[in-house]
Amino acid sequence: MERRNFIKAALLGGIAGAVKLKGNDLFADDKMSVSASNDLVAVMGGEPAQMYQKAIEAMGGISKYIKKGDKVVIKPNIGWDKAPELAANTNPQLVSAIIKDCFAAGAKEVTVFDHTCDQWQACYKNSGIESAAKEAGAKVAFAHDQKYFKTVKLPKGVRLKEVMIHEAIVDCDAWINVPILKTHGGARMTISMKNFMGIVWDRRFFHANDLHQCIADCSTYEKMPVLNIVDAYRVMTQNGPKGKGIEDVQLAKALFISPDIVAVDTAAVKFFAQFKEMKLDEVTHIGLAEKLNIGTTDISKLKVERIRLG
Amino acid sequence: MYKVLKKIRVGVALFFLVSITAAFLYIVNSETSVFSTLLKLQFVPSLLGVFSGTAVVFILLLLLTLIFGRVYCSTICPLGVFQDVTTRVANLFKSKKQKRFTYDKPKKSRYIVLGIVALFLIIGITLPLAYLDPYSIWGRISSEIINNSEQLINNGISFLFPNSVYFRSFVHFAVGSFVFALFLLAAIVLFSAFRGRLYCNTICPVGSLLGLISRFAAFQPVINHEKCTRCHLCAIKCKSQCIDLKTQTVDTSRCVVCMNCVAACKNGSMTFSFTWRKSSKQNYNNPIEAQNKEINSPDRRRALIAMGLMGTALAVKAAKVGPLLSVKPKISGISPPGSISIVHLKQNCTACHACITACPNNIIKPATMEYGLDGVLLPVLNFDNHFCSYECNQCSIVCPSNAIMPITLEEKKLTQVGKVRFIPKRCIVFTDKTACGACEEHCPTKAITMVPYKNREGLYFPSVNRDYCIGCGGCEFICPAVPEKAMIVQGLDVHETAKKPLKEEQEELVIDSFGF
Repeated sequence: MERRNFIKAALLGGIAGAVKLKGNDLFADDKMSVSASNDLVAVMGGEPAQMYQKAIEAMGGISKYIKKGDKVVIKPNIGWDKAPELAANTNPQLVSAIIKDCFAAGAKEVTVFDHTCDQWQACYKNSGIESAAKEAGAKVAFAHDQKYFKTVKLPKGVRLKEVMIHEAIVDCDAWINVPILKTHGGARMTISMKNFMGIVWDRRFFHANDLHQCIADCSTYEKMPVLNIVDAYRVMTQNGPKGKGIEDVQLAKALFISPDIVAVDTAAVKFFAQFKEMKLDEVTHIGLAEKLNIGTTDISKLKVERIRLG
Repeated sequence: MYKVLKKIRVGVALFFLVSITAAFLYIVNSETSVFSTLLKLQFVPSLLGVFSGTAVVFILLLLLTLIFGRVYCSTICPLGVFQDVTTRVANLFKSKKQKRFTYDKPKKSRYIVLGIVALFLIIGITLPLAYLDPYSIWGRISSEIINNSEQLINNGISFLFPNSVYFRSFVHFAVGSFVFALFLLAAIVLFSAFRGRLYCNTICPVGSLLGLISRFAAFQPVINHEKCTRCHLCAIKCKSQCIDLKTQTVDTSRCVVCMNCVAACKNGSMTFSFTWRKSSKQNYNNPIEAQNKEINSPDRRRALIAMGLMGTALAVKAAKVGPLLSVKPKISGISPPGSISIVHLKQNCTACHACITACPNNIIKPATMEYGLDGVLLPVLNFDNHFCSYECNQCSIVCPSNAIMPITLEEKKLTQVGKVRFIPKRCIVFTDKTACGACEEHCPTKAITMVPYKNREGLYFPSVNRDYCIGCGGCEFICPAVPEKAMIVQGLDVHETAKKPLKEEQEELVIDSFGF
């Protein structure tokens, strides 16, 4: 319960500051919805936007996480110059649905970005995310130069004590982490926590200083995403995170959502293990994050809703 | 009528100057490569690509010169047009008297320069031609000076409009190449501000070569000896300083057919006329002209020698004889995909830097000593700031001289410009016993795979199969090992073809459970 209270307080504090509302009203409001909703929702068998709608409903609706007038950031994985079918980047339809939902909740502006690995313009364009985001009314921010990043302290970090994070995240009211579920040669899996490597400038530091520990440390950042939405519509089950071709991809049609980044990654790994052998222990950063009290791997203790569509 | 012709010349000239300069600007290249196709009309690239690509442009340019004289020099050549612009601007600051051009004797140096350039070409060294080629000089000026200035301006604007204009990272600045371009720009500006087309008629190998043909052009500026009053209106306008009113002749080897003289002539004694109908007899009826030819005879000898040498150079190229002399590089640079080999690059590249400005990743830079002395300023790949995109063949598209052959994306994906060397002792997984895999993550062909590391559970180590490596440098760029990277791409002197990446087919699975 301590964890949940902490998240709630952090969340509400931020929101209260941003919208200048009286604390009392908000707390009164929120208590009801929190107790009524789930900690983690898993959806299966639908199209990306449809699964998102079901998932967010079961989580109590987007308004619980995004307040009127918020500056919102949506952080998909746009790391590679690959088409959506190749599942190297987050599904653009999902990104579009989330943006529209945020605007419906009264978000003042929605920004989408990623610090890409391949040439950034090619990634933005060929992932289909730039056009989907712009169509939905979001801003697409640049993240290809150190100029766009700000240094923040990570006092709870073990190896990573200080990191440069994209200004859009640093300056926003709330952000939503939207990774895609993939294998990863170095980190074994790339899901929500690994997706933070796209909000930071110097990724080499992570690789050179115990990759798993740095990934876990990065999730001690005080401004955590209000939601983590794992896109598992198409899942790259081999040769990740870049992949070679369409044969690396399985059509899984699933989606996971939770404010608890450790829990959602745990759930995603367990789901993934049905396609390819993958032990939770092997994705070391998930366990390390639990040690840092970022979240829990014990999904059985959480209120989980499983939804099957179609 | 001549005034209209002159206006057409100015219009066409400005079109080429602007378009060709645009082909060297990042801001244009990031949107379209249309302007790059115009580069293929340039003379030296067409000459060098005559056997490796198409001879069409080369023959067309020669025919153009044979019919109209050196119109190439006053319209298509960007450096020529730029000199005209400089002359024009300089005139704004000159007195009426200072603006006047006077006749100047032809310079000995032009055929000597052409001869030397040809001699080097024969022994397989293209560099002197590359350094003196007016198009490539303009390319380097555009790339180093105009493009870099444009970047500074862009970045200034990006601070004013941070959401719509992106900041262009300052990745590398080739000091030597910049200074060389600046020196050439200064020299050209000085030449043209005071002496019009001096560069074109004393140094430029293209001007000298085309001049050899333009002597015999079908259309030439001709002075009617009876009508001409020697009023000098034509000569003071002649930026090639080639109208000699003492003999009432025009040195057509130097004339760039700018039409200034014919447009200036008040009584119609100067015309741009078809000359092939006239029999040679008629020409020699004029004693002054005959005398003039005699005076020019040493010049003619030099011209013939230079022409012979150029012919030999072309023959050598046609015979595809390897370079007779080439400085062996100490360090082997990685040449862009499509350049076949370092030798091919050296023989065909004019160092115009079109590829350098076209590369969206800014990984092509002017070589210092990577290819040896005879490769300075040639394009070389450098993976310090990025790597070669798997889905990109932009450099091969823009290259006008076929130094980088046009290759399809499919060909490019198998073109092995180098092979990676893995030095396990430097690898983070070995030194720190922690996970990394940054190299494998970036490898587009999976020449690098991660395999279980010794008996340490959960730790994976890179394994390299160089047969699949195309030398894109993704691994080298991202490798976090310091001070020396564990993955280093070693350039291949002659590019090879990599094995096609294996398709790892897997069974399509239908999952019905969440797994938790």
